[in-house]
Amino acid sequence: MNPLLNSYLLAVQTAASAQELVDTTRNLVEYCPNLEPDSSDQKAAISCLIALLGINNPGAAVAAVDGLIACGSAAVDSLLNNLDEHNYGARAWAVRALAHIGDPRGLPVLKRAIEQDIGPSVRRAAAMGLGYLKLNELPESQRLETMQICLAGLSLGCADGEWVVRYAAVVGLENFLVNASAAYAEASRKLLLCRCQMQEEFIPVVRLRAAQALEKWPAP
Amino acid sequence: MVNSIPSNEPISEAEALERLSQQDDPSLQCYGAWWLGRMRSSHPEAIPLLLNCLNRQLNSIQLEPEALAVGRSAARSLGKLQAEAALPLLLKALNHPDHGLREAAARSLGELGDPVAIAALMGRLQQPLAGEPVGNGLNLAEPCEALLEAIGQIYLVSGIKASAESTKALEAFQCHSRPLVASAASRALLQLSGEAKWAEPMVALLQHPQLQMRRAALMDLAACGWRPAAEAISGCLAENSLKLIALRRLVEEPLGEPHPGALGAREKELLALMDGLL
Repeated sequence: MNPLLNSYLLAVQTAASAQELVDTTRNLVEYCPNLEPDSSDQKAAISCLIALLGINNPGAAVAAVDGLIACGSAAVDSLLNNLDEHNYGARAWAVRALAHIGDPRGLPVLKRAIEQDIGPSVRRAAAMGLGYLKLNELPESQRLETMQICLAGLSLGCADGEWVVRYAAVVGLENFLVNASAAYAEASRKLLLCRCQMQEEFIPVVRLRAAQALEKWPAP
Repeated sequence: MVNSIPSNEPISEAEALERLSQQDDPSLQCYGAWWLGRMRSSHPEAIPLLLNCLNRQLNSIQLEPEALAVGRSAARSLGKLQAEAALPLLLKALNHPDHGLREAAARSLGELGDPVAIAALMGRLQQPLAGEPVGNGLNLAEPCEALLEAIGQIYLVSGIKASAESTKALEAFQCHSRPLVASAASRALLQLSGEAKWAEPMVALLQHPQLQMRRAALMDLAACGWRPAAEAISGCLAENSLKLIALRRLVEEPLGEPHPGALGAREKELLALMDGLL
């Protein structure tokens, strides 16, 4: 292992206080772009960052998620293989990382999360992520089916009992519209329209956000 | 019959009312009172029963912990139910010897938002040695944090102007040795004046080394609807879920401005901050 990386990892592992853990995590994250993609060094850094998601230190977790997002697709396998079934805080951060990376391999996790995760913060991250999947990385033949799964999930998100999940679904839909074919665009717009209406959506901030999304995507 | 249901199972509204009306088992009464407030019961019997409970406690000379717990629970639920009819009893409860009951009454008076309560709340806050620790040192002589929060809340919702004297009384608590009390004072001052200088100590607390203090400052700024703190809130080292709740409050209930019906430039900035936390 690269000795510099080794020292960063060691610093994280031996951090003596919450603040020191934030600082050492940030140092590690800053160093990550220097790592060879798909090297064993990068893998070691990624597993360290994933472990940091489960330790109830929001500062360190935010930094770790940023680091994982910066690693992009290289982090996806590890994220998928290390989802913590017993800690929804950790799961929320991991799903957030997957959502921001946008790798289509994350779809089954996002789908399951929006359908049945008990943690609102997990469903929140998933709702956003379903609108940010990089559909153009998929072969043409799979694109339509994937869009369908995303839209079904976003629709569930729009009906969630938690306002923050509905808010995230609206943000997801806004981005989903970038690549949506006419039929999907119409369905998305319908969902957004619902979130704008006072008799459907009781939370003002969700209505405002849906109005903003529709402003960006007026009906053709 | 009441005892036939274990107290930790979910119960119905009828069951809650029944538990509250019996007087043999205070722990069941306590749970019934809590349930009605927690579930925002609109049953016509709920408020009269809670008032009875509180009244019984106020007229009783016994200070057994179990009976007091019932009184506190009733006082809290009356606030949650926004029971205006509870005003006289809550004001009376503010002078009760039990610290916990005074604290519950103060919070509920804040939730009612009636300016009539300000004088009484100020009165408790200005008792000599109100901010000094008593007993085992856990409590202050008066429930200062609750009193300050209630005063700020009432000024905020009623929109009335605070006298120079009241402002001065609150300012005295800004340097209190307990950060949560000092923060409650800043929060009240910001709510009643809208002046940026009172927000500064809370914004500074967003950098506190302890997560618990950062969370408290976050929620205090949110309760004030203090929009200039949005960027600092967004960057604070705390859970995203908490920051999203705080930012939602800033969007929906800005201090000194009407609730936004449409998207202005500042609303768009706030929404962008929220998007970044999903």
